Amino acid sequence: MSLLSASNQHKTQEVAVSVRNLGLTYTTAIDKRPTLKARVKALGRGSKQTRIIRALDDVNLDVEYGQVLGVIGTNGAGKSSLMRCVAGILPPSQGRIEVFGSVSTLLALGVGFNPSMSGRDNVYLGGLAAGMTREQITGHFDEIAEFSELGDAIDAPMRTYSSGMFARLAFSVAATVRPDILIIDEALSTGDAKFKEKSLNRIKELRSDDRALILVSHAMKTLRETCTDVAWLHKGKIVQRGEPNQVIDAYQKFLDLGKSAAIDEDV
Amino acid sequence: MQVYEPFKAGLPKLGKYWKSLWSRRTFISEFSKSELREQHFDSVFGQLWLVINPLLLSGVYFILIVIIRGGSDSTRYAHLTATLFLFYLISNSLTGGVKSITAGQRLILNTAFPRVMLPISAVIIAIFKFVPTIFVFLTIKAVVGSQFKVEMLWAIPVLLITILLALGLAITISCINVYFRDIASFLPYLTRSLLYLSPVLYEASELDPKLRLLEIVNPMFPILDSWSSALVHGQMPETSSMLQALAWALGIFFIGTYFFLSREREFAVRL
Repeated sequence: MSLLSASNQHKTQEVAVSVRNLGLTYTTAIDKRPTLKARVKALGRGSKQTRIIRALDDVNLDVEYGQVLGVIGTNGAGKSSLMRCVAGILPPSQGRIEVFGSVSTLLALGVGFNPSMSGRDNVYLGGLAAGMTREQITGHFDEIAEFSELGDAIDAPMRTYSSGMFARLAFSVAATVRPDILIIDEALSTGDAKFKEKSLNRIKELRSDDRALILVSHAMKTLRETCTDVAWLHKGKIVQRGEPNQVIDAYQKFLDLGKSAAIDEDV
Repeated sequence: MQVYEPFKAGLPKLGKYWKSLWSRRTFISEFSKSELREQHFDSVFGQLWLVINPLLLSGVYFILIVIIRGGSDSTRYAHLTATLFLFYLISNSLTGGVKSITAGQRLILNTAFPRVMLPISAVIIAIFKFVPTIFVFLTIKAVVGSQFKVEMLWAIPVLLITILLALGLAITISCINVYFRDIASFLPYLTRSLLYLSPVLYEASELDPKLRLLEIVNPMFPILDSWSSALVHGQMPETSSMLQALAWALGIFFIGTYFFLSREREFAVRL
């Protein structure tokens, strides 16, 4: 994991996020809804109705300011869990995470939105949920409305929106937040091809020396273009981390082969 | 710098937590407003319903009293409306609060914020629904010809204690519901029992001395008794009642909040 040379061109190299020996285990109930009734019934049997899942296992990861880190891996590799840990949403089971700066997350689009309210009200709701102040949102409102290309529909209730319109507005709000560290989880695939291109350009604009970006994506071409670094997660472990083309090539080769020797090694 | 370490049952740093909660006050108010709007309380008829609903309720219970006791008077009706409306402030906080965490799943899984914000906004919604009923009560009081006295101002501290109790109850029950999702289904029985155990359909002074225990174990008993003394009878509530009410409210608020704050980091895993 000494392939960090690509980041030398950046002025700022301060650590933004430091993840040390991170482990995350979920104890999921077999019985999906925990109830008092189920608990009382289980008392007599003494059986523990849970299953333990190791989502992350001994993950070490550093992200510096100025870096754009891409995170790749198959479904269930632990990408979203890792992002939620860094954002402070999930508490780790082992290890330690240090975050130096303000974090904003774009883990799902339209968080905090209320479908019965107008697009305009939801810009405020979503912005406030993302940690902006009302004044900041008012200041950026025209920019958000214009970027979303909704036109007059901004004053219609959001339940009347098509899924593309919903996603466009949600992305426009999220892309206005300017944090030190921005985590984006598969949010680029919104709207039609034209809007996709537009949102990708917005992400590229957000790259700067004093910001760290973490992108989770399955769009390898985008990652090759945007990232300075790529980390490949598999079954909760980091398989490889380094120069984007190299890691992505290895990952794609792995996908073709199905199973590679590198997976079983501790990296 | 923010450090995230393995979850331990313990309190987060309170100063930092409070600062983070305070910085989200606009979000809390906007969030509550959007919930209210979803329930259509921003329209004229929605607002009107906030007045008609408690009137109908008090009417139904008054019929019950008249039938059971074989008669009644205007003071009794004033007492019933005053206490019933305050009871609904607590009951609405409980019903709104119980699912506040489990219904906020999407928000909790995708954003980091002080989770206690969700039950707080449930109480804000309950307060919003309560405010019109104050005016309904004052109108009823004027119509039945009851006197307005300075002592009625004692209702203000009683209301503050009630809000504290409502917050404590909403925070506690929202947390319990994360671990036992069927609490929400038991809740209607709980609030209904509390209503009959509280001096709403009867006055505290009429309670059989043999049933004094009810007065001690029910946190709402001293509150509703003081509320009725101040608003209906225009008397200063008994100091012992006020202190008892305050002790209940503080106790439930602190125990519930401790329970909630020490557990809230785990909510994302439990949802």
